[in-house]
Amino acid sequence: MKFRKLLAVCLSLAMALQLAACGSSAAPSTAAPESESAETAAAETAEADAEPETVPADEVEAPAAESSASDLAYKGEINFMHYSTSEEAEGNGSSDGFRSCIAAWEEAHPDITLNQDVLANADYKTQIATKAAADDLPDVFLLQGMNTANWAKQGLILDLTDIIASSPDASGYNMDLLVPFTSEGKYYAMPAVSGGTCTVVIYDAAMWKEAGFDSFPTTWADVEKASEYFNEQGIDTIAFGNGGQWQMNSCFLSCFGYQYTGTEWFDHIIAGDGKASFEDEGFVKALEQTKQLFADTKIFNSDFNSVTNEDAREYFIAGDAAAFIGGNWDYSYIAETLKDDAEKIGNMKIAVLPEGSEATNYENMQNNGFGYGLAINAKVADDKDKLDACIDLIEYLAGPSFAEYVGSKYGLGGFYKADFDTSGLNSWDVDLYNYSYVDNKAVAIYDSFLGGDVWNTLNPGLQDLTSGKTDAASLAADTQKAYEAFLAQ
Amino acid sequence: MLNTIKPKGRVIFAYLFIPVALFIFTVFVPLIAALYYGFTDWKGGPVKHFNGIDNYIQLFKDEVFWHSFGNNLYLVVACIIGQIGIAFILVMLVNSKLTKLQGIHRTFGFFPSTISALCVGFVWKMIYDQRTGLINWFLVDVLHKYKGMKNAPIWLGGEAAPIMLILSLPLIWQYIGYYMVIILSAVSSIDTGVLESAEIDGANGFQRALYIVFPLIKNTLFVCVTLCIAGNMKAFDSIYAMTEGGPGTSSMVMALYGYNQSFKSSNLGYGSTISVGIFVLSLAVIGGSQYLLNNFMTDDYDREEKRRQRIKDREARLAMKKRMKGGMS
Repeated sequence: MKFRKLLAVCLSLAMALQLAACGSSAAPSTAAPESESAETAAAETAEADAEPETVPADEVEAPAAESSASDLAYKGEINFMHYSTSEEAEGNGSSDGFRSCIAAWEEAHPDITLNQDVLANADYKTQIATKAAADDLPDVFLLQGMNTANWAKQGLILDLTDIIASSPDASGYNMDLLVPFTSEGKYYAMPAVSGGTCTVVIYDAAMWKEAGFDSFPTTWADVEKASEYFNEQGIDTIAFGNGGQWQMNSCFLSCFGYQYTGTEWFDHIIAGDGKASFEDEGFVKALEQTKQLFADTKIFNSDFNSVTNEDAREYFIAGDAAAFIGGNWDYSYIAETLKDDAEKIGNMKIAVLPEGSEATNYENMQNNGFGYGLAINAKVADDKDKLDACIDLIEYLAGPSFAEYVGSKYGLGGFYKADFDTSGLNSWDVDLYNYSYVDNKAVAIYDSFLGGDVWNTLNPGLQDLTSGKTDAASLAADTQKAYEAFLAQ
Repeated sequence: MLNTIKPKGRVIFAYLFIPVALFIFTVFVPLIAALYYGFTDWKGGPVKHFNGIDNYIQLFKDEVFWHSFGNNLYLVVACIIGQIGIAFILVMLVNSKLTKLQGIHRTFGFFPSTISALCVGFVWKMIYDQRTGLINWFLVDVLHKYKGMKNAPIWLGGEAAPIMLILSLPLIWQYIGYYMVIILSAVSSIDTGVLESAEIDGANGFQRALYIVFPLIKNTLFVCVTLCIAGNMKAFDSIYAMTEGGPGTSSMVMALYGYNQSFKSSNLGYGSTISVGIFVLSLAVIGGSQYLLNNFMTDDYDREEKRRQRIKDREARLAMKKRMKGGMS
């Protein structure tokens, strides 16, 4: 009898434990193969591209390995969450560079186990927000600029101001890039991974020549003229995808808007000093013009509000559109796809957004910056050795090795201003490099700043605006209301 | 002897407590937690402040939320008519003597409801696609109604059709089979004698369905309607896959709005308020529909029957009282 009762209790306990174990074992088991694939992916790229890859890696790894071997007392695990999946790394330069640097750091620190949790970007945003809400952030993770103020106030993320200042690479850091990760004068993340321009017009020069333009038009009025020709041909003038609601903000308005507001306006918006409002004439004008271009002209593909940027760039690749507007990630994807077609890749050119009608502050602009930075969980500060290891990791991933890798291989810039060898670059990568860092004025990407609730009001509103369901003034008023609520927090 | 075979009460209790504990953990705890968080300004992270009924005031004034509620009601109505209505007709067809291979019809009818709603959403997104979708391919290449896919209608978010109608079609398609199986089992429990005698009396198929089958399975239909309402008040997956509530907020539903507020805008406090709102509104709609159905589905005969029963009960009570009084005196 006794035995039977004992058995019953044991069985029920075992069942309950099993259920609980199912939940918790899921995380490490998915993390393990990911980190494995990180290594193999890095190994593959190393094999395929031995010459340019090994040179910067060797050169830079030496100081990092030297300092860490002697300094790092920590032996154990670091939980690390990011969104550079192996799929993403193919054709996406910054993601490839990030993964390669992670693999190099892991190899140099055999005593430390890096538990990587890698999710696709859209899932990552949700997952990290959930973890922040539960006060259960990983040790090291990628912080989105718009979350900085809120999470800093919650005490979730570690203040990195002194760490950045005392870093051995400090002299080479581009401090301007820290702005999105600044809250009340303190820095909370080191810009990493997805740097580069967010708005670039990619066009097929041969098609535009047929339409009578030697290069991409510099005014939207001319683009509209060209669209008459292209529409007769049955092709779209410019392909754009705003199905995910963020593209119109990040890849269009966040560059186009400055033509009407000027750059100072957004500085005031970030500062929240009351000197700028979303209801200012300039911003309302920019919204009106956006509506006009998307809703009233036939420049863009008619389904722009229901397809994503991934769909729209296929229209361009297939030759169904004469141009495409997107970010550097779209550019590297398109180049990667077209690179074997010498004629097409030769015709692929880039341009800045043309001048809108009645624009008061027009210059050659492109919006650039880092949307994400490497942040450290505030709780790590309790364990001095572990903190040192985490700092070493983020300094390595945001430092010279990363900058030189993505610079010499893809023509992308990093937080560290590295001198790199451009001889190994493809001509199209040099084009993008000059576009992003040399030829044009860089402006801030709107949604790297402020809070998610502001952009979650503006972004759906832009879909309404461009499908004719609302007008510029009321969208500006709604956005301003959300902005004021954000400032009041 | 019997006692040695029968387990002790405590053992039975221990076994039965496992599902109860799971239920408490997965249903009650989140519900109570949401109720609590709904009264805070929680933005994620450890800091939260109690802010009274501010969130609820905001909820009452929130146009997007009420618009989403309207969309949920639209889905409910469309799905009651579409899912249960079509399922009833299909059951009548499958049950007909003329239908061959009834089992296969049943299986294939049920098949879509075994697919995850998210996958259904993605599949229908492809079907609706303007440039590569099945519908426009049919319109352009088979019927030659439009010149080129570019001129064909944009189904998701265009002006071709109301967006909620477009979004309800996949939902209807997916769950017809589910209700078909429920209704089929109810219909098969009807005594064949009743149907046969109706047939002998000269009732045609339509009359048999409307005057015999329908009243006899009314309680099952009741359950179907309740399930349908509950299912559509929490609609999320397929809409998330197809439009994410867009364009703008035109196809927003309550659950998606709560999700957006919680995780895109990191307003977890307000997101919790929204989920409490969904709970209360769903209860209200289900309760309201039960009341309406009760009134609508009972005919004069039932009412007369109930009235007689009430009178009988009252007489019985009076008689009892009389007896008791008599006993006392």
